[in-house]
This record gives sequence, C-alpha cells and structure tokens, in this order.
Amino acid sequence: MNVKMNQLAFLLGSYGIKKGDRVAILMNRCLESALAVYGIMKAGAVFVPLDPLAPDGRISFLLRDCGIKCLVTTPLQKKGVLRQLGETSMLEAVIGLQVDGVLNSCSWDEVFSIIPGSHKPVNILEQDLAYIMYTSGTTGIPKGIMHTHYSGLSYARLSADLYKVTPDDRVGNHAPLFFDISTFGYFTAPLAGATTVIIKDAYTKLPASLSGLIEEEKLTIWYSVPLALVQLLLHGVLVNRDLSTLRWVLFGGEHFSAKYLASLMAIWPHARFSNVYGPAEVNQCTYFNLETPPGIDHPIPIGQVWGNTEYKILSDDDSVAAPGTAGELVIRSATMMKGYWNNPELSRKSFYRTTDAAGQDQLFYRTGDLVNTDDSGWLILLGRRDSQVKIRGYRVEPDEIEAILKMHPGVQDAVVIATEKHEGEKELLAAVIPMPESNPEQAELLKHCRNILPPYALPQRILVVPAFPRTRSEKIDRRQIKELLSEQTYE
Amino acid sequence: MNEIILNYIREQLTHGEAVGEITEEDDLLGSGILDSLGMMRLILFLENEFDVSIPPEDMTIENFMTVSHIRTYLKK
Repeated sequence: MNVKMNQLAFLLGSYGIKKGDRVAILMNRCLESALAVYGIMKAGAVFVPLDPLAPDGRISFLLRDCGIKCLVTTPLQKKGVLRQLGETSMLEAVIGLQVDGVLNSCSWDEVFSIIPGSHKPVNILEQDLAYIMYTSGTTGIPKGIMHTHYSGLSYARLSADLYKVTPDDRVGNHAPLFFDISTFGYFTAPLAGATTVIIKDAYTKLPASLSGLIEEEKLTIWYSVPLALVQLLLHGVLVNRDLSTLRWVLFGGEHFSAKYLASLMAIWPHARFSNVYGPAEVNQCTYFNLETPPGIDHPIPIGQVWGNTEYKILSDDDSVAAPGTAGELVIRSATMMKGYWNNPELSRKSFYRTTDAAGQDQLFYRTGDLVNTDDSGWLILLGRRDSQVKIRGYRVEPDEIEAILKMHPGVQDAVVIATEKHEGEKELLAAVIPMPESNPEQAELLKHCRNILPPYALPQRILVVPAFPRTRSEKIDRRQIKELLSEQTYE
Repeated sequence: MNEIILNYIREQLTHGEAVGEITEEDDLLGSGILDSLGMMRLILFLENEFDVSIPPEDMTIENFMTVSHIRTYLKK
C-alpha cells in the first residue's frame, strides 16, 4: 500500500500538484480510495471526496468551488467523469481512468508501474489542510468543511485511545468516504495499526450478505449510522451468524431507536455499544457507552465530551444557560475544523468567540443542536435548534413527537415535520414506517398521540409509508419528506 | 420477466441521468444503480408482481447482483 501511495504522490507531483492544491476523489467504496487519500496527502495536497451518485450539477459545483484541476477515480466512474469533462471544466488531469479531453490521464496500472525518482517529502505542518468534506447544510448550498492534519490526527488519536484500538482489531468501514464517519476506518484504524475492511457498496444494500461478511472477516469494531444496524437486525438473518468477534459497536449520525438498540444488545451481549455524537465540523466530540439497554421512553444520552474538548450550553441570547436549562451546544476541541472553504462569512457565523484576555480569544463551534443535561449529568440531545417550531404560540419539538410515535408497537420509524399551511400558520405532519407484518391505521396512531400529547402538538396527518427517502449518507431526508407530505395534504 | 424488472428499475428506481441505459447484465449493486432503499423497493415489487415471498436469507448479492441473477433466483 505504501509503495502505491508513493507512486500516486509522485505522479501528482509530476502533474504539477503542489502543497495545498485540492485533489478530488470520485469513487465508490473500494481499496483505491485508501490509496487516493494517503497518496494525495503525501503529495501535500488536500483531498476532497465526492459522491459518485450526486447530481452532475452538484459535482461540478464542488469542483469549481474548490478549484480542482486533478481528479482521482476508478474505471467504474467513467460515465460520470466524461460528463464532467463535457461541461466547462477546469480539470487538467484524471488519474485511475484513461480518458481523452484532459492534459494528463493515467490508469491505475500505469500508476503502479511508476518508479518514483528522487522524491523529496513535502514539508507539511499540522495546521495545513488535509481534507475538505462537503455537507448539504439546511439551506441546500454545499458547505466545504476544512480539516487540517492536526484536527484529523487529533480525531484518530482520541478515538483510537477511547476505544482502545489495537493492531489485532478489524474495523468494518461502512460509510462512504465523503461521509465523516469514514474517518474512523481511514484514519483511526491505520494509526493504531489495525485492519480496515472497506465494505463494498453491494454489501451495504443486502443485510444478509453484510452479516455474512462481518462473520467471514471476523470484524471486531463496527461503526455506522443506526439505519445499517437496524437493517442487519431486521433482515440480516443474525441467528445464522457467529458475530462473537465484535467487541465494539459504534453508531452515530442520527438517533437510534431504543427498541432496536435494546434488541441488538440482547443478540450481541459480547459487544459494547457506544453512541457517538459530533457534527462533521468537529468530527466527534461526545460519546456515551451503554452499560445497560436503553429504556424505551428515555432518549439515549450523547453522554460526555471526550479528551481535549470543552463545551458550553448557550441560551438564545448567547449567554451561558443556567445549569439544568436547555440551550445550544458549542464545542471547542482539537478535532475542530478550520472553517468553511471559500466562505469566511459562514465560518465567522459558525463560531462562538470568548475572550479570556486581550488577544486571547477562544473559538467554539456552534453545533446548532439543543442539549440539556439529565439527572446523572449526561448530555441529552433535544433536537436541532432550527427545527423547534411554534404552533399557535406553543413551542413544539418535532423530535419529541417522533419519539412518541415510535413508542407505538406498530411503528418502526417516524418523522415529524412542520409546514407552513398559510402565511405564518404552521401545522405538523408525520410519516411513519410500519413494523413488518403490521399495518397501523392513521386514526389509531392519532389516538395514541392524543393520549400523550397536548392538542397543539398533534400531527394533522400521519402518512404510513414503506420507507423514508434518504440522503446519500443514509440520513433521513427531511426536505424530501416535507415535499412528499405537503403534496399529500393538498391533493 | 426481464423486461418487467428492467422497466420497473428504469421507471421507478434509478437516479435518472446518472445511470443511462440498463441491461440485464449490469451490476445493480456495485455501480450505484440502486441505493439500499431502492433495493428494498425492488424486493417488495418482485414479491407483489410475481406472487412470491423472498425470505431475508435469500436477499444476497448472489441472488440480486444483476437482473439476470434475479431471474435465475426467482425461477428456482
């Protein structure tokens, strides 16, 4: 691997890629992605992972936004790459695929036959950029999160230490490279000398094959969004599998329904479970290791901050919230991003600044998440600051209504959103996925809600759907659900 | 049978422009033609359309990699 990474780094240098240049990676889940990550960093450049299934317009936006001249890919992406070259493209080099229409192009076989000449290592400082990861953001305009070698390496050190990763570990990397959860498989495991098994796309779509792979590869650490674990539980024929090698199951990126988590913990008593929390802007910042299965009517805490990290909870006016009251979580940590690429205004707005003394400022990242502490002192996630809505003057948390819907035995998952019915008048709409073999009626679900919720917090409509639309990182796509529900209402 | 499945994939499940023409030999899983949600919907469609029940242990790469694999599996 190291020889091949050096060959790629050498080639990038010969193509004129210099320290600080951005190089895109357009690949699905494959071994070449690891070569690209480290080859690009060895060249002193900044890797920018792109989603091969993103619309062409989004990919070309990111390429332009980052001023990318060189793209590393695989032959499987040929159609998409050609479409990018067709547009008014700045691309000068494509590596991993032979194409016409660029200055330089080179297949992986050719990369692997390079004999690197006298290669002078690039002088990389820890505050230099290592990678830029894009997220959609609530506005839909992609934001490029800039991470340095320091923030990336800090994440790898802290997570390797927290989960005591050793060279004997075998880590299942389920997330695609453009999703920040992948930093555990691509950074943490290599730092600890562990093995990362990059799970190919096909396995992520068929839970029975996925559980077979976990068994065959004797994975010891698993990290994914909850959805992948729920699919394993419901469709992964786990009774037929010996997964006794699993010692850590990490999940994050989204809320994990307590009833599924409890079922998995019962099936895998040999494994420990950890709820990982942290926006991509800070990689990870808190964790909660479950000692006992979660209670059905209690949220799973996001727990406590980890090393080299401090937090504050802020009220609406940016003052520190009184103990026991809810507010926005702000985080200062070694794993924090440098800011958003090409967007100083947004970067400025995303930080909360304190001044200890003249010239001694501290920057905290505003997570946008509302948190509180519970009786035991654990941090509890209440929802997005911007998802809180006022219905006829009452403050309503859609997440709470979702939790109540999920307590119904016939409900597998639920989403509640607020839409504007008329000017200034909001209403709540819900979509639920039924449990297998279950078919709950809207009236019955409304009755269930009415038993627990005040009238103003009741959804106006509950739509039963077979599955939710998902974003490319497999999080629930709330914007798309909102459109779906709004259409249903006015049909 | 192939055409029924291919038509459903083309019309209901693909990401439009990103896919282009699909044939029975195309890798549905590795190339990004279907996401995990699309795979679940395809399985539901197959169960309804061909009046079969597909147990979880049969939902594997060997049976669902291509439309041609799916046909072989359903014939069994």
